[in-house]
Amino acid sequence: MWLEILNNVRSRKKAIKFPKTFQKSPDEVIETVTPVKKMNKVFGKSLRIRQVDAGSCNACEWECNMLTNPIYDVQRFGVDFVPSPRHADVILATGPVSRQMELALKKTYIAMPEPKLVISCGDCALDGGIYKGSYATRDGVNNVLPVNCHIPGCPPPPKTIVKELLKLMRGISSGSYPPKGS
Amino acid sequence: MTENEEYVEVERDEFRAYCVSLCAERAVMLRLMFAVDERATDNCFKVYAVFSGQNKDTFYIPFFKIKEDDPKYQSITDCVPAAHWYEREIRDMFGLIPEGHPDPRRLVFHESFPADSHPLRKDWKISETDLKEWGEGVVKKVPHDFLKVEGKGICEIPVGPVHAGIIEPGHFRFSAVGETIINLEPRLFYTHKGTEKLFESMSFFDGIKLAERVSGASSFSHSIAYSMAVERMAGIKTIEKIKAIRTFLLELERLYNHIGDIGYMCAGTALMVGQAKGALIKEKLLQLNEKLTGSRFLRGINKIGGVTKDVFLQKFEISETIDMVEEEFKDLLKLLLGQAIHVERLTGTGRLPKEIAAKLGVTGVAARASGLSDDIRKSHPHLFYYKLDLKTYTRTESDALARMMLRADEVECSLSLIRALVRRRYYGNICVDVGEIPPDSFALGYTESPRGSLFYWVKSDQDGKPFRVKLRSPSYCNWPAVPYAIPGNIVPDFPLCNKSFNLSYSGCDM
Repeated sequence: MWLEILNNVRSRKKAIKFPKTFQKSPDEVIETVTPVKKMNKVFGKSLRIRQVDAGSCNACEWECNMLTNPIYDVQRFGVDFVPSPRHADVILATGPVSRQMELALKKTYIAMPEPKLVISCGDCALDGGIYKGSYATRDGVNNVLPVNCHIPGCPPPPKTIVKELLKLMRGISSGSYPPKGS
Repeated sequence: MTENEEYVEVERDEFRAYCVSLCAERAVMLRLMFAVDERATDNCFKVYAVFSGQNKDTFYIPFFKIKEDDPKYQSITDCVPAAHWYEREIRDMFGLIPEGHPDPRRLVFHESFPADSHPLRKDWKISETDLKEWGEGVVKKVPHDFLKVEGKGICEIPVGPVHAGIIEPGHFRFSAVGETIINLEPRLFYTHKGTEKLFESMSFFDGIKLAERVSGASSFSHSIAYSMAVERMAGIKTIEKIKAIRTFLLELERLYNHIGDIGYMCAGTALMVGQAKGALIKEKLLQLNEKLTGSRFLRGINKIGGVTKDVFLQKFEISETIDMVEEEFKDLLKLLLGQAIHVERLTGTGRLPKEIAAKLGVTGVAARASGLSDDIRKSHPHLFYYKLDLKTYTRTESDALARMMLRADEVECSLSLIRALVRRRYYGNICVDVGEIPPDSFALGYTESPRGSLFYWVKSDQDGKPFRVKLRSPSYCNWPAVPYAIPGNIVPDFPLCNKSFNLSYSGCDM
C-alpha cells in the first residue's frame, strides 16, 4: 500500500481532471512560482486570511470565492479564508475603503493577533481606482492600514491572487516584506 | 426625450393625487424616483417618478418643481409604498422633505455624517474635519435607532458589517425568541461610494467604466443600461449586429449568475458537493467570458455606440461550452432535487407574499417567484429581445425553493436564447458613429439584469457633459422586501434566505 501511495505522489496524479476548455491548468501556472519548501518553513503550511470588503463592487469577492472551488482549490497550499479576525494572519481588503466602512475595517485589523499582514486586492484598493476622488471613499487601503502587498487587477483573476499570495509567502521568508503593522 | 417616455409636469401639491390615480388607472408600478438640482437654470429642484406596467411599453414620468426655500412635499409612501426608500434617499441627498413619511431616519448616511449636508446639491461642500469624523464614526446627532422588540425571552442578535463569509458588508439586527426570528432590520449603505456624484465629474464616455463597477456580478447589465440611456439621449441608433452581441452577452451574464446562485445556495444548506459543482460550471462560464471578451466579468466590451469585439467570431467555443454547461447543469439539478435535506430546507423558507412584493415594487427573480410576471425584457422590449422567443416564468410558492427553481427555468431559457442568437448571421460593423452629446437632454435606459430590472436616467448640461446620472439597481428595491420574508424563520436559515435573494450590497449602496 505504501509503495502505491509513494508512486502516486511521485507521478503527481491529479485529483481533478481538467477538461480541454480550460486554457491552462492552474497547477502549471502555480508550480512555476511556488517555493513550496520555503513557504512550509515559514508558515507551517498555513496562511489564514480574513477577507474584508471595504466598499468593493463585489467582483473581487466573487474571485476570492472562486479560489476555494475545485479548480483553484487554494486550501491545498495551506491558504484558507477564516470567519474570525482572531484566527487570521492576513487581512485581505478590497475596495477603495468607503468612509462608512472605514471604522469596521480598522476594528477588524485591531482584532487580529500579531504578527499580521495587510494585503490590498484589486485596483480600487490601490489608490481608489475608478472611485478616486469621491467624497465617500478614502482612495485606497494604504491610507487606512499599513499595506504589505498589493494584488493588481479589476478584479484580479483567481490565478493572479494565488500567484501573489504565494509570492508574498516567499517574500516573507526572504525578508523582503517586513510586516509594517507590528 | 424618447418615444416611450411620457413626461408630465404636475403641481407639487397635486403630485400625490396624480400618482395614486396613475397607479389605479393604468395598473403601473413605481420603477424609480429621483430628484435633480436645477437651481442654476430653473431656480428649483425637480422630482421625477417613473411608472410603468407590464402590458404597455410606455414609461409615465410625472414630475414637479420644488423651491429651495420651501423644500417640502407630500410623501406618497402611504399610498405607493415602493417610494419609501426613494423619498428617504432624496431627503439625504437633496434635503427635500417628504411630509408624512413614516420613517424619519436617514437612509444612505450613517450617524457620523453631518446633518444638513446634501451631497447631490450642486453647491455642496464639506469640510475636511467633517469627512475625517465621518470615517472615524464620530456620532454627530442621535444614533441610528433600531426597532425595539420587547417582551419575555426576546434577544437581539447584531450581525455584521463584517460577516463570516467572503461577502459584502451590511449590518443585520435580529430580534429572536430562541431560534425563531421575530423581526429583522438590515442596515446597509456601508459601501456607499458616492457613485452618482462621481458620474457628474466624468464624461459620458468614461462613465461606462464606472457603470461597470457599480455591481461586480452584473457589470455588463449596468454598462448596457447606462449606454442605452446615453444612446437614447443622443439619438444614436445601433444596428442589428450590435444588438445581438449585447443581448448575447446579457444572457451569458444571466447564465453564470443564475448557475452560480443555485450552487451558492447549497452553501446555506451545507451541501458541499452541490456548491462545488455549481462553482465548477460557473468557472467554465467565467473562462468563456474571458476568452470572448478578455474579462471574466464582461468588462470593457461595451461602449457608447457599440461593442469593442465581435464575440460571434468564436462561435465554436461558445457552442462547445454551452453544450457542456447544459449537460452538467442537468446533472447538478438532478443532484440537488434528489437531496431531501436540501429540498426540505428550502421548502417554505423565506416566503415573500405576493401582495407585499407587489406593494414594495420587488423586481426580478424575487418578484417572479412570488407570482408577479415582472420582466422588463418582455414589457419594454429592447435590444434583440423583439425577435427572440422569450418566456417569462412565474411561480406561486414564493419560497426559497421557488426562487431556486425559477433560476433553473431561466437558465434553460437563457441557453435557448444563446443558441438562437449564435445560429443567426449578422452583417455590418460592431460600432456606429457617435456624434456630440446634445446639450440639455435626458433619457432613460433600462435592461433586465440577472437580479431584476435595472434603470439609468441621464441628463446632460449645456456643454453636453453629465448633469445628473441616476441609477437604480434591482437590489435597491428588493432589499426592503427581505425583512418581510424573514420573520418566522430560524436564525440559521437567514443566510439561506439571503442567498436565495442574492442581492448586491454595492449596487444598492451606490
